[in-house]
Amino acid sequence: MLKIENLKVSINDKLILKGLNLNIKPGEVHAIMGPNGSGKSTLANVLSGKNGYEVEGEINYDGINLNDLKIEERAQKGIFLAFQYPLEIQGVNTNIFLKTSLNSVRKVRGKKELDTLTFLKLIKEKAKELNIDEKFLSRQFNVGFSGGEKKKNEILQMKLLEPKLSILDETDSGLDIDALRIVADGVNSYKNKENAFLIITHYQRLLDYIKPDYIHVLSGGKIVKTGNADLGKQLEKTGYANLS
Amino acid sequence: MKQSYDFNIEKIKNLSLEEKISRKKNLDLFYKSGFPTKQVEDWKFTDLNLILNKNFDCISNDVNFESNRDLDIIKNFEHNYMFLTNGKIISSSFDYEEKNKILIKDFNPKETTNIDPGNTLTLLNNALSSGGFSLEITKNYKLKKPLVIYNYFSKDLKNKILNNKNSIKLNEGSELMLIDYNDSNTQSNFIRNTIDVVSLGENAILKNILIQNSKSNGHFYKYIKGSLEGSSNYENYILSSGLKLNKIEIEINLNKDNSSCGIYSALNLLEDQHQEIKTRINHNSPNCKSYQKIKNVLNDSSKGVYQGKIFVEKIAQKTNAYQLSKALILNDKAEFDAKPELEIYADDVKCSHGSTSGSIDSEAVYYLMTRGIPKKEAVKLLINGFLNEVLENITNSKLKIFLEKILDRQINEH
Repeated sequence: MLKIENLKVSINDKLILKGLNLNIKPGEVHAIMGPNGSGKSTLANVLSGKNGYEVEGEINYDGINLNDLKIEERAQKGIFLAFQYPLEIQGVNTNIFLKTSLNSVRKVRGKKELDTLTFLKLIKEKAKELNIDEKFLSRQFNVGFSGGEKKKNEILQMKLLEPKLSILDETDSGLDIDALRIVADGVNSYKNKENAFLIITHYQRLLDYIKPDYIHVLSGGKIVKTGNADLGKQLEKTGYANLS
Repeated sequence: MKQSYDFNIEKIKNLSLEEKISRKKNLDLFYKSGFPTKQVEDWKFTDLNLILNKNFDCISNDVNFESNRDLDIIKNFEHNYMFLTNGKIISSSFDYEEKNKILIKDFNPKETTNIDPGNTLTLLNNALSSGGFSLEITKNYKLKKPLVIYNYFSKDLKNKILNNKNSIKLNEGSELMLIDYNDSNTQSNFIRNTIDVVSLGENAILKNILIQNSKSNGHFYKYIKGSLEGSSNYENYILSSGLKLNKIEIEINLNKDNSSCGIYSALNLLEDQHQEIKTRINHNSPNCKSYQKIKNVLNDSSKGVYQGKIFVEKIAQKTNAYQLSKALILNDKAEFDAKPELEIYADDVKCSHGSTSGSIDSEAVYYLMTRGIPKKEAVKLLINGFLNEVLENITNSKLKIFLEKILDRQINEH
C-alpha cells in the first residue's frame, strides 16, 4: 500500500529525514517511535502533502507517486492524518465542515453526496461510538475544546472519511486513560484487512491498546531498528539512548 | 476636477414657495464645495468627488417614481413588507399585524426640520430630497413578524441622484425587526443619498438589517441618525456586499440611562468595490452600552474602510463601549483602512477597541485540505466562518438561515 524508498526531506536547507525506507501492506499496523526531533512529525506532514518541505526519493501509494498528488487528492484517495495539534477553526461550524469534507471525498470516490439529514444521522452515530457530546457538533470547530476532545474529534473524522492509510501523529499525547481507551477502541474497531495504520508515538502506552505488527525506531532521520510488538516494551525499559 | 452636475429644484413636485427658498439655500451651500473630496477629514479614505468623476457624466436629479417591476416576495420567512421604487412607497402589507398600530405614509419634509449639515451630502439631501417614507409604531406594540422594505430602482437612473429622507419612530415599549432589502434591477451608474432619522422611545427595540441582494453599480450613501431613550436598544447589521460604492454613516445618541446599541457588519468585497462604515456613538447618559463588530473580507482590488468613534460625555459614568474591526485581505491590491477613535470625558468607564487585519490562516487551509476539501472551497469555508459569526445574535431561525444564504451567495460570487 505504501512504499517509501530512500526518502530525504529538508526544511529551510536543514536535512531532517536522511534516507528513510518503509513498507506498509494492507491490514498492517506500524508504529514509529523515536526521540524528540528525530523527524517523526516531518514524515507525517510529508505524507499529508504539507508545503514547505524539500522532498527527494520515492513515495509510492497504491501504485501512484504520492509527490504528484495535491493535499486534498491524497485525502480523497484515502490518506488520513490525525494531527498532533488539531486546529481550532473560528466561525466554522463542525457539522458544516465535516459534511463538506465527507462529500468532497465521496464525490471523488464515485459515491452519492449525502444530504444534510442523512449526514446528521451518520455523524451522530459515529460521535456516540467515541463518546463525543452531540452538542460539540453544532459548535465552532474545536473552539474551546479540551485536548482530549480535540483528539477524539480527529478519530471521529477518520471513521467518517474511511481512509485506507491512517497516520496518527502522537494521538495519545494529552489523553487521560479513559480517553486513551476510547481512542484505541475507535482505531481497533476500524481496523480490517484492507486498511493500514501508521502510529507515531513517544510512548509504549498507546501500543498496549493498539497492538502493532511492526515497531520502527526513528532516530537521526533514519529507521535504525525494526522489531515486533516486544520492541516497544524493551524501549520502555532501556530508552532510546542505548540503541545502537 | 470638480464633478459636473445639473441640479434643479423645480423638478421636485408640490413644493411651497417657503420650501423652495429653504431648499435653494441648502443647494447654494452645497455648490460652494461640491461633493466631498479626501481633503475633508471624514472623507479621507473615500474621495467621493474623484470616484464620481471616474464613473459619472453630468449628474441630474430628474427622478420619476413610477413602478414598472413586479414585486418578487422573499419566500424564506414570513414577513410584512413595504415596496418602494426609487425610495417612494408603492404598496405595503401588514397582514400579520394589528394594522392600526402601524402608521406609514410618504415622508413629509415639513415634519422634520433640516438635518444638521454634517457634510455636503446632507445639504444636497436637504435641497433635493423627494420620495421617502415615515414609519411609526404605536406604544407597546411589538410586531409579530419582521418588516421587509423592498427597495427597487427604475431602469432610467443612469447619471441620476436619488435623495430620500425616511423617518422611523418606535414609541415606548414597541419592537420591530426591519430589513432594508436592496434589489437593483439596473446596471447603470446612479447615486442614492439617504437619510434615516431613527428615534426609539423608552424600552423600544429596533433591529435593522441592511441587505444588498445583487451586484449593482449603485453608489450609495446612507446617513442614519438615531436617538435612544432609556433602556431602548438599537442593533444594525450591515450585509451590503455587491455595491460599487457604499458609505454608511451611523450616529447613535444614547440619550438616557441603560440604552444600548450594536453595530455589526459582514462584508465580502470584490473587484474594485469600495465600502466604508463610519460610526459615531455618543454616550450622553450613564450606564449605557455600545458594541461594534466590523468584519471585512477584501478580494481583488477592493477597498474597505472603518472609521469608528466612541464619544463619552462627562456625565456618562459606567459606560461600557466596545469596538472591534477585523479584516481579511486576500489580494495584494486590496486595501483596508481603520481609524478607531475614543473621546472620553467620564472617569468611570469601560471602553475598549481592537483592530486586526491579515491574510487567511494558511495552517487552517492546510488542515481543511487534508480532509479532502479543495483549496478554493477551504478558503470559502473559512471566509464564511469569519463573516457568519456576525449573525450569532439573530434569534429568528428562519431569518438566520436566509441571512446565511445571502452571505453565502455574496461569498460565492467570486
